[in-house]
Amino acid sequence: MSEARINGKPASLAAAAERAAAILSLARMPVVAGLGTDVAGARAAILLAEKLRGAYDHMHAARIFADLDVMRQAGLMFTTPNEARLRADVFLFIGKDLTKIWPDLLERLSPAEIPAYDLAREPRKLLWIVPGRGGGKVEGLAVQTLDSSDLHTALASLRARVAGKAVYGAKGTLRKLDEFADVLKNARFGVAVWGGDGLDSLSIEMLHGLILDLNKTTRFSGLPLGVGANAAGVVQTSGWMTGFPVRTSFGRGFPEHDTWRFEATRLIESGEADAALWISAYDGEAPPWKKNIPLVALTAPQTAFAREPQVCIEVGCPGVDHDAAEFSRETAAIVGRLASQPSHIPSVATIVGEIEKYLGGDA
Amino acid sequence: MKPLVLALKQEPDQRLDLSPLVPHLLDGKSAKEIAEIELQTTREKITAGDIFKIRSGGAGSIRFEGGSLRLDNVGQGLKSGEIIVEGDCGKSPGRKMSGGNLVVAGDCGPFAGSAMSGGRLEIGGDAGDFLTAPLEGEMEGMTGGLLIVRGNAGERAGDRLRRGTIVIEGAAGDFPGSRMIAGTLIVLKDCGTLPGYLMRRGTIVLANPPELAPTFVDCGIHELAFAKVFAGLLRDESRAAARLLGRPLARFAGDMAALGKGEIFFPA
Repeated sequence: MSEARINGKPASLAAAAERAAAILSLARMPVVAGLGTDVAGARAAILLAEKLRGAYDHMHAARIFADLDVMRQAGLMFTTPNEARLRADVFLFIGKDLTKIWPDLLERLSPAEIPAYDLAREPRKLLWIVPGRGGGKVEGLAVQTLDSSDLHTALASLRARVAGKAVYGAKGTLRKLDEFADVLKNARFGVAVWGGDGLDSLSIEMLHGLILDLNKTTRFSGLPLGVGANAAGVVQTSGWMTGFPVRTSFGRGFPEHDTWRFEATRLIESGEADAALWISAYDGEAPPWKKNIPLVALTAPQTAFAREPQVCIEVGCPGVDHDAAEFSRETAAIVGRLASQPSHIPSVATIVGEIEKYLGGDA
Repeated sequence: MKPLVLALKQEPDQRLDLSPLVPHLLDGKSAKEIAEIELQTTREKITAGDIFKIRSGGAGSIRFEGGSLRLDNVGQGLKSGEIIVEGDCGKSPGRKMSGGNLVVAGDCGPFAGSAMSGGRLEIGGDAGDFLTAPLEGEMEGMTGGLLIVRGNAGERAGDRLRRGTIVIEGAAGDFPGSRMIAGTLIVLKDCGTLPGYLMRRGTIVLANPPELAPTFVDCGIHELAFAKVFAGLLRDESRAAARLLGRPLARFAGDMAALGKGEIFFPA
């Protein structure tokens, strides 16, 4: 059975849901934050936000928008990990924590394997732009690394050299850049793989420009690793429900998207939002804001909070405690996952449904 | 004719959308009709009359007495006439304005002058990030007009600037002139890292430049006749900007990673 608490004291699920509904429906501007949940949980939470005329955001929105802002203002080219493994003769890795972001990355891409559908059937080349020396090792393959403490200038210099334009730099750096540029230009099908906090929307737009330039003479595509907590799945769910990604508000009765105004932490710290529903079913993360506002939390068991929420209800992990639809990096699509350890801990969608039962007609 | 005066009664507890309060939308409306205009952005209704004390006058000139960082979209789509804000304002004042004069005496939030195409916008205090930048999903930032910030500006001022002139008399945050397509950006005090990142064309003038990216190439020191003509045009708006343009200037071309037809000038 699920554990529920009101002000830190054990309570029945019904009592907790009723209290949660009261807190959220009394607010002028409630915000649904975190959104670390599966597709069903995101659907229920966004519908709840619409009913409450509140806003919603995802805990990893900053990372989401680093890629998404480039896609919607400049365009991006994507491929899937499987396509990359089978066809790519050149990998360009960018960032230092790629294997931490996705532990199965090297297993999935098998860089040391000869690509099955590459006509030349030669060993792959792997270039890695990574801050610090010694980073970026792959078993069974000689990795060429470009030590770069500043990814903005490294990507800019590389793109300029691929285009044959002049750049400044130490002799050794320039030689390395030209080696990299040579490998990229001679790729038959190259794939750039990136992720992590070291890349912002500007450096990703620079990388996108490099990919575009390379496509004038060969084929090159991109594989963003994205971020956890089903961020990509929640963004797609939000897209088909409202036409917008996260950071959208129903305050005026229709969905309005604004990455600055509807950032959950800003809304709360500025005092514009006056109640929050925090959802973190995957990792049991606590809310990042410091301000004390009425809080309803739907989190994984044993989540440690800096301040006890008014209402806390434990929820199961999607794909572990219950079957779930979520974004899968392996296929770059939404997939169904059977529960690996089925339990009776309820899902986010179930609890949101319970809360909704106690909302008044005008909420 | 007397201006229309809107005196703020108290700090609003939600963000308000002031885009309906521009001359071409208020023309011919009585004070009572103006008082009924809804400005809320949450389910709690707030009308202009709830939040402002209205003193009627000609809608061609609007004066806001008092301001707040929660008043968004002041002067949105301004075509002609004048709006003076005697205080702060929120996100994107002067958004998509095409003419007229908008003066914000205090500070303002991000996206001031976003996608403006004409007219004059002056910010007396500091401006937030993304000065004149395009909003989510839009391709172009400012495409014309003149914007002057007397204080400092945040990150990525002049992002995707396409045409028009921006003068920041204070300091600019990181990545000023990012993704510029054309136009002119002048910064008179300190400037954050990597100005002109991804710029294709256009002109950035920095009084105090940081280290430039390696994709900007030295083109020597110039005394440009055009800079002096331009200085003459700017003198009435910003004497310090005019003085800067009158000096011998070092020219760096870039961003070589993009098209490379842009330029960054600074005093030689």
